[in-house]
Amino acid sequence: MIRLDNIYKAYQVGDISLPVLRGITLTIEEGEFVSIMGASGSGKTTLLNLIGCLDSIDEGSYFLSGEKVLGASSDQLAGFRSRHIGFVFQLFNLIPRITALRNVELPLIYAGISSVERKNLALEALENVGLTDRAHHVPAQLSGGQQQRVAIARALINRPRILVADEPTGSLDSTTSQEIMRLFQALNQGGMTIVMVTHEEEIEKYTRRIVRLVDGNIVS
Amino acid sequence: MHFYLDRLTLALYALRDNRLRTVLSILGISLGIAAVMAVGTISKGGNYLVFSELETFGLNSVWVYRDRQDKDPHRKVREGTGIDNDDYQAIVSHCCKAVNRMSPFVRGREKLIIQTVNQYSNADVKGVGKDFTLINNDTLIKGRSFRLKDITSNRAVAILGPTAVTDLFGETGSPIGKEFRIGLRKLLVIGVLKAKSRDFLASIGSSGEDANNRILIPYTFYQKILGNKAINQIRAEAISLDKAESAARQLIVMLRRGNDKHFEYGYETMTSYIKTTDNILNGVSIIGIVAASISLLVGGMGIMNIMSTSVLERTREIGLRKAVGARYSDIMLQFLMEATIISTLGGLIGLILGSGSSILLAKLTGFPLIPSLTSIMIAFVVSVGMGIVSGYWPAKRAASLHPVEALRYE
Repeated sequence: MIRLDNIYKAYQVGDISLPVLRGITLTIEEGEFVSIMGASGSGKTTLLNLIGCLDSIDEGSYFLSGEKVLGASSDQLAGFRSRHIGFVFQLFNLIPRITALRNVELPLIYAGISSVERKNLALEALENVGLTDRAHHVPAQLSGGQQQRVAIARALINRPRILVADEPTGSLDSTTSQEIMRLFQALNQGGMTIVMVTHEEEIEKYTRRIVRLVDGNIVS
Repeated sequence: MHFYLDRLTLALYALRDNRLRTVLSILGISLGIAAVMAVGTISKGGNYLVFSELETFGLNSVWVYRDRQDKDPHRKVREGTGIDNDDYQAIVSHCCKAVNRMSPFVRGREKLIIQTVNQYSNADVKGVGKDFTLINNDTLIKGRSFRLKDITSNRAVAILGPTAVTDLFGETGSPIGKEFRIGLRKLLVIGVLKAKSRDFLASIGSSGEDANNRILIPYTFYQKILGNKAINQIRAEAISLDKAESAARQLIVMLRRGNDKHFEYGYETMTSYIKTTDNILNGVSIIGIVAASISLLVGGMGIMNIMSTSVLERTREIGLRKAVGARYSDIMLQFLMEATIISTLGGLIGLILGSGSSILLAKLTGFPLIPSLTSIMIAFVVSVGMGIVSGYWPAKRAASLHPVEALRYE
């Protein structure tokens, strides 16, 4: 499903090139639930962004569901994200001015789905995360846990093969965090591949495989 | 459709968040558009007015007369009008390709006493030929025009302007068949002219005479009163406005030939009046267009400013949209639409303001109000164009943002 081979990635800061990933080789099979862990600056978010096709790879090769990702243009990457990937962020990243329903619909707009179908799919997705009665609330009227569930509904609406989550519980209290992780577990049991970055030990125990990064290298 | 509605709603929210700048930009655009429309009204209305007033002289009419300016070497030696009945007859039998019809025109230098039993008129008396009313675009509301017999037999008949009718015969009853006197001679009223308006031409310095206070009589009869055979002007109708100048030149060639080049002649056509008014209207238009351009520029800069701020404030949102699959063109289109909404809104308000000021201008100046589809089209095209032009750079910047950096933006 995800095949990364000898990946290199560096960031340019002025004239200096800062290497972040130094030769990552990683294979994630369909249906896995993986957490990527590591100290701050170890490159875990960068790795997650590469897996999620948000960022481009300097060197190495990446095949996603058999498709070559390396060398794709930014619009082609947008296409990969639209077809294969659902994102969940630490700060939810909901658009504050529009309702939960409209937030959930967003990916479907860019996938070219008609408005009636979009609304039906979005309501269904909200129902799946238990928020049917909050469909017409704006994010500010929702609790953190509810906001993250709206974000999860949004991530799932395109029926992606892979859910990519960057510290999904990082802004939530422990009870809510556990709710979210149970939701992730249920999704994984339904066949969803999940790749998650976290630094919390009690969160990682929900996952089935842990990848540890130190200074841009996988150590275990 | 919903694709666009979604963007429309988002765009409107974004504009609500930037209310003051939005209002200022809309104001700039709308003043610009209103100015464009007002210019349109002035130049169109003014043109219409001038043409309709020039038509009261006959748009194709040509006036030929002796030129008494310095360039006439005989001006001190030779008296007279330079045109007499023989000249006219020669022209009638030989001239001229560019001339449709013509008429002698005689006016005395001294004021004549015009009266009925107990009422007086200070009208201008003109001696004319049979076709004068046609050349001069005069319409009769009562009675008839001159016949050839009236002219050849120098009959004592007259056609009166409306003011002369009121002065001589009062407001009631038809004057046709009634008599009045010029000096000692009795004349019979055979026709009444329709009223004419020349207010606008008078205001730019055209002839001061009152078109409604005229008395037309056969030029032969006038010559009998004056006791000579002189003609002051030849009034001709050219076959078209373009041919007016060549008609005048053809007539002058004939006149010079008949008089052994003893006189210089001048002419007047409506072209010179059209040029004068065109110059005035162009001047007004240029001022208006400069004002409009400044307003539009201010509006455009305002839109650019709003859009730049909006892109900055919504960097994370742009990152998110890209993360969920938005392509370059999706983001570009969204911001271009916002800019276009502002400018089109400005255009709409400008259209309303412009229509209002056009109506006001028309009322104040007496210009006719001519609704112009062209200026509405221009307003629309300009405002949509302003949106696209001023929204382009901010939209391009938004669309070019890197999703990872945009999502990380605080």
